[in-house]
Amino acid sequence: MNLSVHNVGRVIRFEVTRTLRKPTFWALSLAVPLLFGAVFGLVYFSSSSTESAATAQSEQRFDFTYTDASGIVDPHLAAAMGGREVTDGEAALADVRAGTSTAYFAFPAEPATQATRVYGQDAGLFDSGKYASVAQALIKASVAQRIGDPELATLAAAGVDVQASTYRDGVPTGGILSFLAPMVFLVLFYLSIMMLGNQMLNVTLEEKENRVTEMILTTIRPTSLIVGKVVALVIVGIIQGLVFSLPVIVALAVMPGLVDLPDVDLSALVIDPGRMVVGGLLFGTGFLMFTGLLVAIGSVMPSAKEAGSAFAVVIVSLFLPFYAVAMLIAEPRGTVAQIFTYFPLTAPVTAMLRNAAGALDWWEALIVLVELFVFAAALLAVGVRLFRTGSISYNARLDVRKALGMA
Amino acid sequence: MTEPNAVISVRDLHMSFGEQHVLKGLSFEVYRGETFGLLGSNGSGKTTTLRALLGIYPTARGEALIEGTRFDPSMGARIGYLPEERGLYRKEPVLPVMTYFGQLKGMPAAVAEGWSRGYLEKVGLAGKERTRLDKLSGGEQQKVQLGVTIMNDPALLILDEPTKGFDPVNRRLLMSIVEEHRQRGATIVMITHQMEEVERLCDRVLLLKDGVAEAYGTVPQVQDQYGGRTLRIEFTGRLPDSPTVRPTVREQNYAEIPLPDGAPATGILRELLDAGVEIRRFETSRASLEQIFLQVYGERAED
Repeated sequence: MNLSVHNVGRVIRFEVTRTLRKPTFWALSLAVPLLFGAVFGLVYFSSSSTESAATAQSEQRFDFTYTDASGIVDPHLAAAMGGREVTDGEAALADVRAGTSTAYFAFPAEPATQATRVYGQDAGLFDSGKYASVAQALIKASVAQRIGDPELATLAAAGVDVQASTYRDGVPTGGILSFLAPMVFLVLFYLSIMMLGNQMLNVTLEEKENRVTEMILTTIRPTSLIVGKVVALVIVGIIQGLVFSLPVIVALAVMPGLVDLPDVDLSALVIDPGRMVVGGLLFGTGFLMFTGLLVAIGSVMPSAKEAGSAFAVVIVSLFLPFYAVAMLIAEPRGTVAQIFTYFPLTAPVTAMLRNAAGALDWWEALIVLVELFVFAAALLAVGVRLFRTGSISYNARLDVRKALGMA
Repeated sequence: MTEPNAVISVRDLHMSFGEQHVLKGLSFEVYRGETFGLLGSNGSGKTTTLRALLGIYPTARGEALIEGTRFDPSMGARIGYLPEERGLYRKEPVLPVMTYFGQLKGMPAAVAEGWSRGYLEKVGLAGKERTRLDKLSGGEQQKVQLGVTIMNDPALLILDEPTKGFDPVNRRLLMSIVEEHRQRGATIVMITHQMEEVERLCDRVLLLKDGVAEAYGTVPQVQDQYGGRTLRIEFTGRLPDSPTVRPTVREQNYAEIPLPDGAPATGILRELLDAGVEIRRFETSRASLEQIFLQVYGERAED
């Protein structure tokens, strides 16, 4: 086997092994899911306790006075909850202020549009919430009492469950449910860049900073070295992704309701094969372009510190479409969307968004894919050439024009 | 025409960086099994020549060939290169780094690891196999670097200032390792500023000045080409200020005075005695490489 090709495998093995040997890799990889787990746990238990506290508060019984300008509040229900209707609101409020009354509720003429005022004795940060809870419970119970029919009362309280079906050319389009699956590629793209971006930048910088370039370039072609290091990074990224997701999978198995999405039935998810294929290809070519760009930047810059500022510009450009996401979704064929779709740095995110929304025609997808692939290949070629010359420019930023033979 | 025994052939090599012409039609050959010294002041183009030879710099014009072909990394398996700007993966332990480079040179992992252990023991670094490179002293790092260079028994060793950063003890150790490879038949190309090493080790030398070959040949040929003979004296007294007595090396009681072409030493000796200099010992010899170096590069060599 050709030594250089064989060496790609050796580079991959060396890079992966040395990363996995580092305790810091495992510490950092496990810290993220542990942190998320801790936050989710706190939110979960906090939500549960908040909900039970609210229920307990609404069921609390204490004496209170109230005025009812709407006429909706049922005096019998109010009396059962400890309420006594008064006509002089000012006096009732004065009693609360003086400490002779526990609480006073002022129900307005139109509770649907106007706020109900609640006044009470301070019972602490959390327990004082009981006044609002009891006032809300009283008005809800009074409304239900007025409606009479329990089903109508439930409908009025909980709203209506609507399931929408839309069609394009006679074929169901799936709505939001068809948007979610191809969006997975955008999430993957985002995570890949967040996780691997800095390391991609260091692919070429490490050899330069360690002054190891000359020795290594006499044993391996720069293309083989860079390909080996990038593949190793992707493998490490996948391992890191698995480390991240394993605790989440375990948590979901233990607590299946942990990520219940409101109004979304995941079992009804619509998977459009066309959009999935385009999404996958956009992810692949977008990632390739990103890699080429960072390799080129790393080759020009003398140190990671200086490369960092250029990296920030790349990141902002890549995710610029997120700032205009509402416009891109609302007007996927508008001028801004068109510019973002074909400008190489904004193309991956914009095209993936439009593809997920079903607003990217096949010919547009084809143009973007070809453009990204060509741009990525050109960047990688330039990056390799810059690496060959730039990596022995140890202390200074490389003159790109000179390195490319243009000066 | 290339000598059939030539391992390295450089012909009419030109290299430029922008407006700066570093090499201007350089030509030379290095023969199989010889030790070749590439000499010159800083900035004379020595390192650029090696980088062009190893494909690190693309050549603008001319040829730089190894075994008759342009360098390709697949040839790196039998070439050991110790660059001037050197380093290894500093955050990694010694043994995995050495094994990795051995593998890149085509050695099986187990063989590379075994060889590395043996080498570390030989150079006094046994027990530091798992130590991170940045935890080693500068000299120890240099030893590891040299080990990586000579892995896989290279047939061609290219050393750019190999003793840079070494103390005298380790310099001797390094040169003995180089000597071992020389005796095994390896071809050695060496850039160095240590002229005594060149005189002791090198079969032939090339003196580069401003990108062109100033002198090229065996050490005696170059010595003959430059300055001819030298009068070396140990003396007491004060050397006269005379147009014929122009020492190139002058210490407290020692001086090296170049002799004009074909002139006998007796004339200068008589002049010294007449000036009241007491000569305790004298000899005539060819000019040392250091003298030639100083003569060729003048004050620039001290840059």
